[in-house]
Amino acid sequence: MAEIACERYKDMAATGIADPVLQRALINLQHRFGRGTAEAYRNLPEGPELRFQAKAIRQHAIDHLDLLLERLADKIEARGGHVFFAEDAEAAVTYCQKVADRRGVKRIVKGKSMVTEEIGLNPALMADGIEVTETDLGEYIVQLAGDHPSHIIAPAIHKTRKEIGRLFADKLGIPYTEDPPTLTRAARKALREKFMAADMGITGCNLACAQTGHITTLSNEGNIRMAATLPKTHIAVMGMERVAARLSDHAILFRLLAMGAAAQQMAGYVSYIGGPAGPDSLDGPEEFHLVILDNGRSRILADPEFREMLQCIRCAACLNVCPVYGEIGGHAYGYPYSGPVGAVVTPLLVGVNRAKDLCQGETLCGACRDACPVAIDIPRMLLALRAKLAVGDDRWNVAPAGPAERAVYRIWSRLIGNRRAYDLCLRAAGAGGRLLAGKDGMLGRLPGPLSGWTRSRNLPSPAAKSFMQRWKEMEGEGGSNHD
Amino acid sequence: MTDPRRTSFLKRVRSALGNPLRDESAISAAFADPRPAATAALAKRMRERPPEERAALLVRLSEAAEPLNIQLVQVPDETAAVEAIARIVANSLPEWGGEKRAAAWDHPLISALNLQDALADLGVPVFVTRPAPDVDRGRVRRAVADAFVGVTSAEWCVAATATLAARNPPGAPRSVSLVPSIHVAVIRAEQVVADFQELYALLNAEMDEEGRGLTDAMTFITGPSKTADIEATLVHGAHGPRELHLIVIHG
Ligand code: SF4
Repeated sequence: MAEIACERYKDMAATGIADPVLQRALINLQHRFGRGTAEAYRNLPEGPELRFQAKAIRQHAIDHLDLLLERLADKIEARGGHVFFAEDAEAAVTYCQKVADRRGVKRIVKGKSMVTEEIGLNPALMADGIEVTETDLGEYIVQLAGDHPSHIIAPAIHKTRKEIGRLFADKLGIPYTEDPPTLTRAARKALREKFMAADMGITGCNLACAQTGHITTLSNEGNIRMAATLPKTHIAVMGMERVAARLSDHAILFRLLAMGAAAQQMAGYVSYIGGPAGPDSLDGPEEFHLVILDNGRSRILADPEFREMLQCIRCAACLNVCPVYGEIGGHAYGYPYSGPVGAVVTPLLVGVNRAKDLCQGETLCGACRDACPVAIDIPRMLLALRAKLAVGDDRWNVAPAGPAERAVYRIWSRLIGNRRAYDLCLRAAGAGGRLLAGKDGMLGRLPGPLSGWTRSRNLPSPAAKSFMQRWKEMEGEGGSNHD
Repeated sequence: MTDPRRTSFLKRVRSALGNPLRDESAISAAFADPRPAATAALAKRMRERPPEERAALLVRLSEAAEPLNIQLVQVPDETAAVEAIARIVANSLPEWGGEKRAAAWDHPLISALNLQDALADLGVPVFVTRPAPDVDRGRVRRAVADAFVGVTSAEWCVAATATLAARNPPGAPRSVSLVPSIHVAVIRAEQVVADFQELYALLNAEMDEEGRGLTDAMTFITGPSKTADIEATLVHGAHGPRELHLIVIHG
């Protein structure tokens, strides 16, 4: 399993907010991609409703997942490929280790794949003495730096060109430069040697096709094509939900995926891979393995409240518009999946209590739902998770909030149901607020157990008169002419 | 051959779905075309496309190619295509040093160009891949890695996105469009389709009509290799070709 650091959300968020380099990078990212995606949707010849067609396609696949996976596996096996059904991370990792061992593998090149981060594949293979090289440029930078990816599509978004220049000077022995083309070329050269020397390639799978029995990989750099073409053995790892029923489903999904991921009309490279190289193919791997991973997904599937999350195609569009991700960055989420998608998926995969800050940290503004190429209602699921955290839930082993917190909310819900009591409290709060407020009328620090509210933000002091009061007074003045 | 892991895995998935009925009709419904009428209409439109619409597709293609940095060259015939390729070879240098070498697919359209003779004048040897069960794959790999220009064709080209699409024909290794620094693709104007809906409708039609499935690999290529991983700055030539030249032969 990947390292889980969700408990450190608040600290890491504070670190992210205090990091001026990250802040600039996030603004740049959201400015470019967030807006670009929205514009790409607006310009769709079929209209923005295409997203809902895509959603229906994904839902159809999820509803028939057992049939789809069966067909996919049959077809791949018929072409001489191997399919391994992995119940959890450990089974998947052990299988990959065994294949590597049997094939005498010494060097592995990898295409960017969040699911292999999820199962912690790299450290396990490296512990076996195998050299594992990430080949997506961003992922390579992150690996050289001994760091973690902070974005699903742009893993090194938190690094500046200066940092990368120093890193490459140090690790690749090139003269210091901060010119992106020169840096890219240095990585291109170093990685070309790795591709040529590798005896195994490991990739993810964007969206398989059950009808024809193919996995697909998408990239702009061409690194995944290299990893799936040059080495003698190719292992692809896919989350079990990443499959479409029919070939023609891809026509819509790939376009929307490219728009969501990078505001492009189409990814640079799309590869369909259906097994090892055929008898009259002149290149391609001798052996092909597909690992289909459950690792908690069937539990999500079984719950109608969260099943929708399995429609996700991991495009990262939701990260590029999320006001919370845009402030705290990806590392705060403490798991490979960050941003709004991470705020729902991570609690469901690693434990709701454990990752509670992730779903409580989001704002419910709905920007993610509008940016999502398959219109996943993330805010709805964030609320559902919060409800479980409040009252507890057996199915997900969620411990309810402490008695004190629950008591507060019980009182609160009574209070707002009773107009007169509520007015009374408002008046008291107004008076108290004026005593505590600073010169700007803001509350910088609340006393006692309320201090949590003001630890990282100022609160406006409650108004002296409530809206209802003012409304009544204005009506009493004989007019509804507001000033 | 029942794999117990597979059985229990799929059982778990089925039970998560609430054990729905899985009879023959449920299975065929899962894979059926959701909009057969639309697909049929699409196929008809493609087959009966009038010449002026074909010309419009080429305009659309060139509009899509430009922002992607695809060098689109439209030529009247094979001779002009060969000249265009010779110009590209003459005007560029091997990225990794050494001699100028090229690799080309064994493919009817490419073989007709007779590149070996044409580039011999420039002193550039061309390795032509050959389909054969007894072929030395190691040799193919070295030759492709040594080439600075790779010449391929494609089955289709999608005008809306300037995407080249090809199922791997025998004797046409996918690495020729990937490993050399410069990729040259040669197609005929008739191979241009309007958009992805058309492309997939064609693929489907061929699967149905000819009973021909997809081969072990199919590749779509949209522009030269690129990355934006350093401060979101676009750079061409991350791992794949730095340049993509698309030569479209009319007539
Ligand atoms: S939730 Fe939607 S927007 Fe976010 S990664 Fe998944 S598909 Fe993309």
